[in-house]
Amino acid sequence: MDERFSGPGAWILYAITIAMMIFILSPLLLVMAVSVSDSYFVTFPPEGFTLKWYAKVLQDRDFIDAMQLSILLALGATIGSLLLGVPAAFALVRGDFFGAAAITGFLLSPLIFPALVTGLALLQVLSRLGSEDARLNLLIGHIVVTAPYVIRTVLSSLLLVDENLEDAARTLGASRMRTFWRVTLPQIASGVAAGGLFAFMVSFDNYPISMWLANSEYSPVPLVLMRQLVNVFDPSVPAMSTIIILFAMAGVLVLERLVGLRRALTV
Amino acid sequence: MKSAEVRLENISKQYHRLTAVDNVSLKIEPGSMIALLGPSGCGKTTCLRMIAGLIRPTSGGIFVNNADITHVPVHRRNIGMLFQNYALFPHLTVEENIAFGLEMRGIKKAAAKARVAEALTLVQLSSFGGRYPAQLSGGQQQRVALGRALVIEPAMLLLDEPLGALDKGLRESMQVELRALQQRLGLTTIMVTHDQDEALTMADKIVVMRAGNLEQVGSATEIYQRPVSKFVASFIGVSNMFEGAVERREGAGGLVAAKSGIRLQVDSMPSMASSDVTVSIRPEAITVEKANGLEVADRPNVVAARVEQVIYRGFISHYYLRTQGGQQLIAFEQNQLHTTGLRHTVGDEVVARWDASSNHVIPNP
Repeated sequence: MDERFSGPGAWILYAITIAMMIFILSPLLLVMAVSVSDSYFVTFPPEGFTLKWYAKVLQDRDFIDAMQLSILLALGATIGSLLLGVPAAFALVRGDFFGAAAITGFLLSPLIFPALVTGLALLQVLSRLGSEDARLNLLIGHIVVTAPYVIRTVLSSLLLVDENLEDAARTLGASRMRTFWRVTLPQIASGVAAGGLFAFMVSFDNYPISMWLANSEYSPVPLVLMRQLVNVFDPSVPAMSTIIILFAMAGVLVLERLVGLRRALTV
Repeated sequence: MKSAEVRLENISKQYHRLTAVDNVSLKIEPGSMIALLGPSGCGKTTCLRMIAGLIRPTSGGIFVNNADITHVPVHRRNIGMLFQNYALFPHLTVEENIAFGLEMRGIKKAAAKARVAEALTLVQLSSFGGRYPAQLSGGQQQRVALGRALVIEPAMLLLDEPLGALDKGLRESMQVELRALQQRLGLTTIMVTHDQDEALTMADKIVVMRAGNLEQVGSATEIYQRPVSKFVASFIGVSNMFEGAVERREGAGGLVAAKSGIRLQVDSMPSMASSDVTVSIRPEAITVEKANGLEVADRPNVVAARVEQVIYRGFISHYYLRTQGGQQLIAFEQNQLHTTGLRHTVGDEVVARWDASSNHVIPNP
């Protein structure tokens, strides 16, 4: 064991860690607890135990449709941001051109720009372009906010790749393209995976962009959840939330199995 | 392996306003090994990378066996290159690293396997094929890189400070080993180094570079014994330099009066316009003797001095002397095993002398 985690001062560290865990996890646990409450209102502590809210939610056509849409949307946004983000990051790190720093800042700007403003701006641009398909608009909007996550993680993992590896591959007869696939990509795989996970999650629970671009026919999960919350605030809302939480955890675990999350997130 | 002749014709590389390489022409004989030597920023690495194709020259041409390769992309040049940090692919095993170049050439797995085994034997790592680079020492990693570069039977071998990251003992043995292998294979090799010992040990020909230009091209002995400039004289080995003016010419040689008051008899004087010269003398050419009231006045190549510092280096000692004219002089003397102690100690009054043939005259620009 690391010596920082033993000795007389260690209990302070443990206490702070536990306090942080409670601070972060308790709202989630609260939601999960309320979702099994056998009452018609959201109350805490929960009364009794029932899974009927889950049964109700899983039979709810709107929720099922929204789940399907959100998953497809998140997958599409992930693939789209990888296709755009990986080459962009590569160009920004390896390319030696005027204004690279400015372009990096610009491409990462959706990370700091208020998404609400971005969404409104997108709505105006897309409607002026005459793009009326809500699904396409959602996909474009989500890629705008998810691509910066891919660019950032890939950028930082590319900075750690020794350029000489690529030079060596090229002197050995690999074209630039083959060098990228055979040498560069394996080095940055964890960064690409982390960027992809971020992109998926950011898209999956995005509200401010979807709010502007969705319509009554195509609404992603966060919108449906919000609508339900405003209409009837019964324990089916926490039940939906719990399903989303479990879904997100499953995604994280899959990534952990595939590339090792700690490795992926430390890039 | 067939040996290639490599020729650079007036190549230059310009970065914005900075000229990294300025109109360099150089011919490298087939099967020979040359070293580009110089301080950092002199353009030696840029030259090497232009030959590799990793940098595009601003102007000029690169020829291999008289074929113009200036615009051939790097992956079609058939080059073996070694990097200072080895540049092994960390996600591939030693075998896969070595097979990489063969795979890129579309050579079938079975045929490649035999050649990889051969390369592993060549670099004495037969039992390491299944390991990953991170599991090898620095020396072993550079051997793998060498195997990877040689297995493709390259037209030439380019070495970019290949042994710079190794510690001294290993570096010296690798220098000898690499040189022996290069000569055995008869492979045209171009090496970049800032280490003069490495250049002297390994290269047939040394190219001293400075500020993007070739300062001097020659064999190790030419560069060491007859440096063309003060820069070369001080960059390769240690030199004592005397600024002075030609006093008179006698046949091929003459007499130079140094500003510090010493008179120097020289055997050969280059023809030059100005009489302003620098005379360089290697420290090992200087003999240091006890003064004992020896008369030095006005005799050339003799100077009275005082010992300022003595450094014992095992088989030689370095004596730092100060002449009466105030100039510092460095002399190296070989130590004799049977005598105990140093011949001179700090504060001794001594006489330093040397042969006229040791004086090398460099015209001042």
